[in-house]
Amino acid sequence: MKRSVVQAMILSDWQRHRTLLLLSIVSGVLALALIQVGGEIPFILGATLFFTVMIVFGCMLPPSNIINERKKQTLPFLMSLPISAMQFTTAKIVSTVGLFLVPWLALVIAAMAFIVGHRGGPQGIIPVVLILAAAPFVGFCVIAGVSLVSESEGAMIAATIATNTSYGFSWYLLVRNPVIRADMQSREIVWSREVLTVLSAEFAVIVLILGLTFFLQSRKRDFL
Amino acid sequence: MTDLAIKFESVGKKYRYFTLEDIHLQVPAGQIMGLIGPNGAGKSTTIRILMGLIHQDHGDVRVLGHRMPVEQVAAKWDIGFASEDMRLYEAMTLDWHMRFIRSIYPQWDAAYAQLLLKRFGLRAEQKIKGLSHGQRVKATLLLVLARRPRLLVLDEPTTGLDPVARHEILRELTAVMNDEGRSILFSSHNTQDVEQISDQITFIDRGRVIDSMDKEAYLDRWRRLRLEAPSGIALPALPGVINIRQTGRLAVATSNAFVPGIASAYENSGARVQTIENMTLEEIFVAKVEHSREEHEEVGA
Repeated sequence: MKRSVVQAMILSDWQRHRTLLLLSIVSGVLALALIQVGGEIPFILGATLFFTVMIVFGCMLPPSNIINERKKQTLPFLMSLPISAMQFTTAKIVSTVGLFLVPWLALVIAAMAFIVGHRGGPQGIIPVVLILAAAPFVGFCVIAGVSLVSESEGAMIAATIATNTSYGFSWYLLVRNPVIRADMQSREIVWSREVLTVLSAEFAVIVLILGLTFFLQSRKRDFL
Repeated sequence: MTDLAIKFESVGKKYRYFTLEDIHLQVPAGQIMGLIGPNGAGKSTTIRILMGLIHQDHGDVRVLGHRMPVEQVAAKWDIGFASEDMRLYEAMTLDWHMRFIRSIYPQWDAAYAQLLLKRFGLRAEQKIKGLSHGQRVKATLLLVLARRPRLLVLDEPTTGLDPVARHEILRELTAVMNDEGRSILFSSHNTQDVEQISDQITFIDRGRVIDSMDKEAYLDRWRRLRLEAPSGIALPALPGVINIRQTGRLAVATSNAFVPGIASAYENSGARVQTIENMTLEEIFVAKVEHSREEHEEVGA
């Protein structure tokens, strides 16, 4: 049975990035294993590595899967296929976001399982970990959206610098919030209004960026 | 009525430093059209409009009966497009690319793909980054030809190839035309390649189609006359003669609508016709471009 061109493109993107995908999952699992060792230094090293893996993977995918199509001149090959500009956009968003989501979800679930498995530990940290993990997802969507719309390496690098700079500042603001800080130490998970507001905002930004990307792509008249 | 594979009517596209002006172009089904123009003439822009990859500002484009760019998806099922700036994925093998294309096109001809592998001397298991430029062009053409398109659109496919590789590719393109329903639009600034395989020729320069007709008609109509004009003899301006260059007693007249009466008219004016020479397509192209530019500049002035 023949595949649709969008399906074939998504599958080809996944095949081309499977090594990167595998590497990110292995690195994330290693980070969690480091935390498992116990002690303050392994915890800090492991947690840093865990979020670094997410951030780095989120920064590497858009140039590799989007910008390189133009830079390495494979875009004319793809656009010679029976596909419209919007179908191309759909294929690229689905494949790129999907590629990011696989290790992201795997690592978030592994981290949750790790925290829940530590009976006696503060379960209140789970909402904060979710907020922290959602930030690289937001940053990734910004970089991917800018890459698709601008098709410019310079704009993509600017978006990467902007998002990476914002992580430290937003995490600083997060832990300064007294409600969130207090709930982090709780033995039980607390879904406070502050936590839900931040999480909702993060996912709203993701939806907004992806929607805006489709909208701006639909207005393009020239595709090569 | 003849079926048209490609039809451009008053197609234009304006950029900041370049304008494609009112392009009219027709490629009948089953014909090979050579699109010849210098670098920056507008060949690639024309082809990208044809493929629906850029939108024209005005005019109507129909490819295999489909309106472009609106119906580009339907049209592209039957178009095989390869351009000089098209690359394959370097880290993947040719076999991976063949499987990718095969997974999309129901008309993929696996036996023909294997035949082309042999004819082009390619190895399916080889990664694209290990191929030479000529092999990459052949690999791209294999992927295009084995899907058996009704229309082949080739933008400078032979640029940078050695003579042997060029010959192999042109031979394969000629073989493709054994199926009479197929059409090819072949752009190049290499007139030899175009002359070798085309039925129709279109000259394009500075965003304008400056001439378009049957290849044989070009070769039949254009002549170069070498004249000896004694001092005091003024060579007459004759219809069908687009250019006269005179150095001392010797003059060269270029005719784009040669009839024997032109030679007689020069003889009658007191000049002596030394030779009447056929022109190559390259010579015709250069003469046509120069004449068109002079005309355009006169109109502009």
